[in-house]
Amino acid sequence: MAQLTKGKLNYRCPSCFMRDLDIDMFYNKETGIYSCIRCQYRGTEEDVLAKNEMVRFRYGAMHKRFTKFDFDED
Amino acid sequence: MEEKFIVNIIHRPEMVPEYSATVTGQGKEEDIGDEKLLTESLDIFKTQQRLAHENGLKTTIQMTYASLFNDEAVELAKHDHEVYGDEIALSLLGLPCEEFREKYHTKDFCIWMFSMEDKKAIVRDVFGKFYDRFGFWPESTGSYYMDADLINFIKAEYPTVKCAVATCWEEGPKAYHTCNNSWYTLFDGGPWAPWIPSKQNTHAPAANEAEDSGIVAIPHLSRDLIACYDGNGSNFGTHPQNVLRGMIYDSKTWEFPYLYNLIDQYRALAKYNNGYAYNMMFVGPGWMNKMGRWEAPYELLYKSYSEGCKYYGDLKKAGKLCDMTMSEFADYYREKKGYTEPECALWRDILYGSDKQLFWYCDPFMRACVNMDQGGAIVDLRPYAAKLEWPVGIGTKHVQDASYPFLIQEKYRAGYFTHYAGEGTVRSAKLSYKGEEVDLCLTPTKAHFSQEGNTRILTLDPVTIEFRNLTVKLQTREYFEEGSSSIKIERTILEMSDPTAEVTLNEYMVACYGTTEYPEDMTCITLKADEKEIRYEYKCREEAVAGAGEVSAVIPAIETRVSMTQTGGAEGYIKEGYAFSPMFTLGYRKQIKDKEVFATWLNLQKAN
Repeated sequence: MAQLTKGKLNYRCPSCFMRDLDIDMFYNKETGIYSCIRCQYRGTEEDVLAKNEMVRFRYGAMHKRFTKFDFDED
Repeated sequence: MEEKFIVNIIHRPEMVPEYSATVTGQGKEEDIGDEKLLTESLDIFKTQQRLAHENGLKTTIQMTYASLFNDEAVELAKHDHEVYGDEIALSLLGLPCEEFREKYHTKDFCIWMFSMEDKKAIVRDVFGKFYDRFGFWPESTGSYYMDADLINFIKAEYPTVKCAVATCWEEGPKAYHTCNNSWYTLFDGGPWAPWIPSKQNTHAPAANEAEDSGIVAIPHLSRDLIACYDGNGSNFGTHPQNVLRGMIYDSKTWEFPYLYNLIDQYRALAKYNNGYAYNMMFVGPGWMNKMGRWEAPYELLYKSYSEGCKYYGDLKKAGKLCDMTMSEFADYYREKKGYTEPECALWRDILYGSDKQLFWYCDPFMRACVNMDQGGAIVDLRPYAAKLEWPVGIGTKHVQDASYPFLIQEKYRAGYFTHYAGEGTVRSAKLSYKGEEVDLCLTPTKAHFSQEGNTRILTLDPVTIEFRNLTVKLQTREYFEEGSSSIKIERTILEMSDPTAEVTLNEYMVACYGTTEYPEDMTCITLKADEKEIRYEYKCREEAVAGAGEVSAVIPAIETRVSMTQTGGAEGYIKEGYAFSPMFTLGYRKQIKDKEVFATWLNLQKAN
């Protein structure tokens, strides 16, 4: 097997991202699998993108536009 | 009151952008003189400048050492100064280039980490080169962090300098961990908004002219005061690509309202700061790499920066924003703010949907964070009163660690305690009645800000504490008197279901000291309740004095004395910790009745 490389984009490990770690993944061009060098995550691009959607669960107000920043009565 | 929202837009022509060599150059041998890399870097700088100017914004161009060797970069800066009124300044970021490596024989690139001897040599070299190219001395400079010795040296040698980017807010152990323990920007504990650094310690604002370092400092980015405190700082700032780094955008539409919420919340802080609010945007060219950055393609990087500039530009057009260069801002700030005037931020969650609320307070004597989700507990406390001299860099005791030490830090030292054994650092209170006990940390509420004379007041919505046979309605007010080096916390019993009942109010502070998650040697600490004393030996001892005038701790390692005092009638106590709980506790216990008011003060002093 040839050495791992970066993919077309430089995906981070979604599993590590969920624990506040930015870890680049490396790509196996023979299998089409991205793998994390630190943890045990591995997956296709499709799986990485799906997991990236999942990591956004914590951002409950990500789509909301705020107009008020205090809790005072107007 | 007329409100003024100011923005500094800063660009740096970094010829060898951070990340480029290791990230986009993966699989290639290092070549920092690569012509393609230099051309692309300059192209990014030009794009950033264009986007600002197209939106009617002036910038501060922070020339890097490497860019001073590039004729095109120098000419671009001169042109944009002439045409758009941009300030030509000098950054101490972006040192790496062939010329630097040949001269200094090192791959170090963070100015605060060099030895003092090297700092002086590099500053003289970089400033001299700047003068050679432009024929004048810069008025603004900066890095991710500027230690006090460095600022003092620059001000003495180059008195024209009046503004500097001098810290990244809460870029400490959390940022280090995010990079798999490899990014050594360890400088938690500073102000989040502009300040005048003291000569003794950059983080701690000057209290008077004698302490004034002579510059106005600005933070590197304006950061989310909840998200950055809890998580990776580099995901939650007014750096559009940081928002992408945090994946805080819709992956289908590429919309990112969070960035605008963040900017708008900063605008709203004018309400707490005599009509003044501030933002800065400072994006290194490495973040607009043509190859994309992590999962964000170049088109998204470009979109985020373009729309970020447009948002500021539209605010300006609507008369809601004033763009300034760094040196213009320094003049404005000197005119606007006095030494002891605090910076205040009542901040709500705008990302997670929790409605949590924090209050941040910063003046020359302390930085404190009050958590309304924990009943107004103080969850972070930095004793600036000590004006701790803390040299950093090679040849000092702190080569990398430039953080200002804490007494309380809820993320690094547990906070309100929920685990198996031990305690966490927090300043809160407990109510007890017939064998039941409730900590106010478990009474989430909201706060309202007001100002009376020189005192900033937080009035918390009343909370209800339910015991089996008694219900108590209690209100907390917290007072920050300018220049007092104290926080007064007042509890009022508004109502009891049994008006004849008495409950015990235990006002306490669990503290330690440190700059990281890991414990320090506590044996230097002496605790006192009036004349009773405990010299810390991890023996889990406790002393109490009825009616104690003061309970205190002296922590020589950070030259700090912290104490609590009271309105009267309470028993003061001190508690030593033990090896599994390396903390100390100061507190007051008092029987309290319906309609009664009890106040305590937390006081900070320098311990010589």
